[in-house]
Amino acid sequence: MTYPLRLIIFIFVFIWFTGIFFEWIISFNNNLIFIFPFAERTYSLVCHQDSTKLIGFNNHHTFVCARCTGIYFGVLICSFLNLVKNFKISLNNNFIYIFFSILLLDVFATTIGIYEYSKIISFLTGVFFGSVAFSYFYYGLNKLFEEKIGLKN
Amino acid sequence: MKKYISPFIIGFAAGVLQVVPFIKSFACCLIIPFASYISLSLDQKANKDYSKILMSKAFIFGIVIGLTSAFFGTVFEILITFITKQNDLIASLPELIKMVDNFPVDENIKKEVISLFDNVKNDLINKGFSLFYTVTILLNNLIVNTIFGVVGSLISASFINNKNKNLDFQ
Repeated sequence: MTYPLRLIIFIFVFIWFTGIFFEWIISFNNNLIFIFPFAERTYSLVCHQDSTKLIGFNNHHTFVCARCTGIYFGVLICSFLNLVKNFKISLNNNFIYIFFSILLLDVFATTIGIYEYSKIISFLTGVFFGSVAFSYFYYGLNKLFEEKIGLKN
Repeated sequence: MKKYISPFIIGFAAGVLQVVPFIKSFACCLIIPFASYISLSLDQKANKDYSKILMSKAFIFGIVIGLTSAFFGTVFEILITFITKQNDLIASLPELIKMVDNFPVDENIKKEVISLFDNVKNDLINKGFSLFYTVTILLNNLIVNTIFGVVGSLISASFINNKNKNLDFQ
């Protein structure tokens, strides 16, 4: 995939990830407060936003829970690494099985009360799953462009 | 039209599930991407065609799932709000107002934002409908669900293709 396309992907992921910290960003520009309810609503579509599971400091909270923040952080890190170096990705489904199972196990275990919910564990399970998910997304996007180029030729 | 029956049905289901609080808290951001996976799998099963899924097909499936779930999700949310005159926004409004009050922002701006919230809340409580709220959630759902639908479809198609490729070797 060409550098501009990788850059576009990174910019989109970066904007989405930065949006999670919108409450802190408002301090830099007061007028952004008008977008606050819409931004909050946008992230509520992709996360339950349970107040006990949000990452918070300085009286502000992220728009998504620790696990979702982890997923998007994993995606951000991978899209950045991919921007720096164009990796050739070969998929191995075992990774997605393992990391998705760990994520699901953590959700089940904390839901039924086997152990207490931990933001750090949730964040980490999210990071691993997000990283693997990005590799699948990037692989799929590459194939999509290959198909389009193939059709043109 | 018939070839998009699976994303339409699954998109409808995802739209409904997005409104159910328990499902939402459990499935979090995975409802739409998972819907994409189910839709592509169902399509393969229905056509008994386990060959490689074209990414262009997965892309279109993602868009159809995103648009369908956004439309039905919005319709159900508006309908439930109209009947019960209650929704997530009204429930979380006191907390939202508290949050806005805590921001280090000019008092006039705060007042304007809070009065905007209040207008929407009053419309929803008195009439069960707010045009501003409806347009906002429709636009939000359309953009977010479509993006997540496409991303989920590309991930799912890559996963399914890789799984089927591995099965061929065995």
